[in-house]
Amino acid sequence: MAAEAKKGVDTTKNPVPFEMAQIPGPEMAKTYMPKVMGAIIKKAKRPLLVVGAELFNDPVMFDKVIEIGKMGIPIAATAHSMKGFVERGYEDNVYMTGLHPLTNYLRFEDWKGLDGNGQYDLVIFTGIFYKFANAMFSTLKHYNRNIKRVSIDRYYHVNADMTFGNLAFNPDDYHAAIDELIAAMKK
Amino acid sequence: MVKTEGSFAVEDMKNVQINIGAVVKEEEEWDQPMGPFPRPGVATLRNWDFKLMDRYKVFYAPADDTCTLCTYGPCDLTGNQKGACGLDMSGYCGKIVLIACLMGCCAHSAHGRHLYHWCIEKFGNMDFDMGDEILVDSPIYQTVMGKKPKTLKDFGEGLNYLEEEVVQLMASTHTGQESYWGDFESKALHSGMMDDLGMEICDLLQMVAYNMPRGAADAPLVEIGMGTMDQNKGVLIAYGHNLAAGAEAMLYAEKNNLWDKVDIGGVCCTAIDLTRIGEGIGKETVPKNIGCKPKVAGAMGWWRKMVRSGVMDCIMVDEQCVYCDVLEDSQKRKIPVIATTDKIMMGLPDRTNDPIDAIVEDLVNFKMPGVAVLDPIKAGEVGIRVAIGVKPKRAEAKAQSLLTEAQFKAALDKCTQCNKCAFVCPPHIQISNLIEDAKKGNLESFSSMYEICVGCARCEQACPQGINIMDLYEYANRQYIKDQKFLMRAGRGPARDTEIRKVGAPIVLGTIPGVIALVGCSNYPKGPKEAYIMAKEFADRGYIVVTSGCMAMDMSLYKDEEGKTIWEQYEGGFDGRNVCNTGSCVANANIMGAAIKVATIFAHRNHRGNWDDIADYILSKVGACGVAWGPYSQKAASIATGCNRLGIPVVVQPHSVMYRRSFMGRHDKPEDWMVIDARDGSMQQIEPAPEAMLYIAETMEEALTEMAKLCLRPSDNSMGRMIKLTHWCEISEKYLGKLPPDWHEYVRAVADLPLKWRDQMMKELESKHGWKVDWKAKKFISGPLRPADVSFDPTNLPRKIRARK
Repeated sequence: MAAEAKKGVDTTKNPVPFEMAQIPGPEMAKTYMPKVMGAIIKKAKRPLLVVGAELFNDPVMFDKVIEIGKMGIPIAATAHSMKGFVERGYEDNVYMTGLHPLTNYLRFEDWKGLDGNGQYDLVIFTGIFYKFANAMFSTLKHYNRNIKRVSIDRYYHVNADMTFGNLAFNPDDYHAAIDELIAAMKK
Repeated sequence: MVKTEGSFAVEDMKNVQINIGAVVKEEEEWDQPMGPFPRPGVATLRNWDFKLMDRYKVFYAPADDTCTLCTYGPCDLTGNQKGACGLDMSGYCGKIVLIACLMGCCAHSAHGRHLYHWCIEKFGNMDFDMGDEILVDSPIYQTVMGKKPKTLKDFGEGLNYLEEEVVQLMASTHTGQESYWGDFESKALHSGMMDDLGMEICDLLQMVAYNMPRGAADAPLVEIGMGTMDQNKGVLIAYGHNLAAGAEAMLYAEKNNLWDKVDIGGVCCTAIDLTRIGEGIGKETVPKNIGCKPKVAGAMGWWRKMVRSGVMDCIMVDEQCVYCDVLEDSQKRKIPVIATTDKIMMGLPDRTNDPIDAIVEDLVNFKMPGVAVLDPIKAGEVGIRVAIGVKPKRAEAKAQSLLTEAQFKAALDKCTQCNKCAFVCPPHIQISNLIEDAKKGNLESFSSMYEICVGCARCEQACPQGINIMDLYEYANRQYIKDQKFLMRAGRGPARDTEIRKVGAPIVLGTIPGVIALVGCSNYPKGPKEAYIMAKEFADRGYIVVTSGCMAMDMSLYKDEEGKTIWEQYEGGFDGRNVCNTGSCVANANIMGAAIKVATIFAHRNHRGNWDDIADYILSKVGACGVAWGPYSQKAASIATGCNRLGIPVVVQPHSVMYRRSFMGRHDKPEDWMVIDARDGSMQQIEPAPEAMLYIAETMEEALTEMAKLCLRPSDNSMGRMIKLTHWCEISEKYLGKLPPDWHEYVRAVADLPLKWRDQMMKELESKHGWKVDWKAKKFISGPLRPADVSFDPTNLPRKIRARK
């Protein structure tokens, strides 16, 4: 990894599954720096940001997610996270759905997407209960490998393609990493 | 060879006896013709299963990427690759699902088999009599077997049948046997149906033998909670699911007038079943209302918290849902353990044939930490005598097992904030924060997280400092434990036929918006209070709320502002605005049975040997939704799968991804939602209702919304649809902040629309979805998928067509 990319928060450390026993097999996620991840997300043709109810535990993340939404990336608001968007008056490109039915559609290549314009090529998960997100990543890992799986959550997500290392107990670092990722997307 | 009445022997054929008398008698007493599928084999209902799976796509979330089941392995199946044996990831997942369902089915059915032998041995071959108000007395048995049991012994035929099916199913999981995921799932559905049968047999046997309530809406209120265990008496805990030994302990205490010296508390489903004993209207095989004397110590999720609280003096374990380290935990605290069934013996010496005095002497004097006593009568006596005898002797050990203030503070000081505990905590409690707060003298964090902690104790193993974190919880919640005293309605058993007649039409037409069945264990994402909130939300809305097992126990632990538990807030009938505790884990069969009874009693469908017909009816017309919000064991997976084969959708919580498989429909595939109109055989597209068969919700808020949605059925009349849409939309708005995005898919006519949003919705249908509205006549000119038609008779079975077009 380029030395330049190493500057800022090091999100490549602690590549240990947040629930330690979640060791699926030979193919495990790689950790990336926020800038690299931001650049990759920016290049995606049909990205989808998928957020869950853990955003309520760290409400500032709603604002950061909305900032990403405002860059044109549609948001799938799963569980009851929609309520957070309604409260903040941002619903422009936010789709209310459950993560389970959403993943059910994502696994089929013929799905037309939440907006009817076609299947996605990259999904970004954050704010989702770890075990649940891990399992839904697993479904995509096994059954639709055309979609790149990206986690920008505070956990090392073993079934993603790209993830941060564990930052679960360093909220400041995590927020800084998200800010770096957003900045990279804006470049 | 001895010939029995009504039978004859065949000449020249040794040991062959054909019994005709019984068959003739059966025909005379049951006017229903035999359906096409009595005693279905492994592949008999495969067509029905495939119909379900055509609509509800099998969804796998593999928990691991490798298969290690044979010596070729480990094989990497990532990306649905095949292993060396040729099985791909989907097949592998299907195999694991089938094995899990079989585990659940076997647990219930073996429990039933044990009770079958035990009840007949203890009480004789009693008549099977559920009373005058329950004439469809064994709905699952009749639907599967095509027969009506008349005596307890008759259930043996059902057990023999299901045991053969289970062996055949298990055989198919061997390497080199079944390979196609769809067939594994069909077999899992078959296993689920066998589980339904096994549970029903088990519960019916015990209801009759132990004279339990038979559909009693006013079953007694019994005490529940750790605080109800009288610490002035010896406390015997009966833990598990099989009531045999616990019941004998009760009978021994009763016979010897020992209730002033001993308190019996049940944990997990044994608790529910002990508190049902003797409260029925049948033959008084046991002392009347003896079930009101023991208490429900708590659901299985409270087990380790209970052990740490020091409320018990002796433990009798029977079977199922018993933590594997019971012996280790109890040994540390000098609590003698008695294993009472051969399913859980924990390495203990089998003392079944030893004199009782000798066993008691050894346990009371701590000569051994526990024993196995496989005779329920003997185990019951040992349990009572040990609980009384050991109490004074273990007083010091008990006191030492509870942290002092100094010990509590010393433990807090050992924490280095490494957070290794949080990495293994299922509900992700950041325990180091609780410790930090406690160091400052604030125990509130430990208190507020006490219920959310699922009691797995993984944190203690992970802690490099060796802090016994569960003990910290106990110290911080000592007063709560003392005050944990509530009431629970004893398990009432099945719905009465009269209740079904009353609610049948409102359920099918939708004017009772649905039946919500809250079942399962105590592994909640955010604590047991969610069970209470769910029950209350739907009861207040007029749904029929049915519950069982640990979820029934857990919802008992809360009161409203008037100090009433949920059982005091609502009546216990099978009716709207009621909360009905059907009983223990095996009593879940009564919930499936109620759905069958709607089909057969209200709609006069022949259920005899006719599973797919009944399931088809339920799928299209009975707005029922199961919810396993705290599922933990394979039994929960099996129960859900049995519900699914009967056409009942189920919502589960996010930890349920460990079950690996779910069933999900696709709204964007109209071809998946084609049904036959039984009136003339024409095909009709329906709205996606119910939209899923097994749905995983991330949070309670999402689950509540989905539960309301999964009660929608194609058969709803406009009034019913309007009521169901109103509740679904209101719940969505309340918990998710917004109306559901797909409500319009369920609108067939203006009259379907909720009154409070009618104009707003009509405008939205016009502007957003392009529907044409005749505003003057207040009707749709175009737009709906199909018209509302109260006589529409949807079916998925061609044989149900009455007259072909």
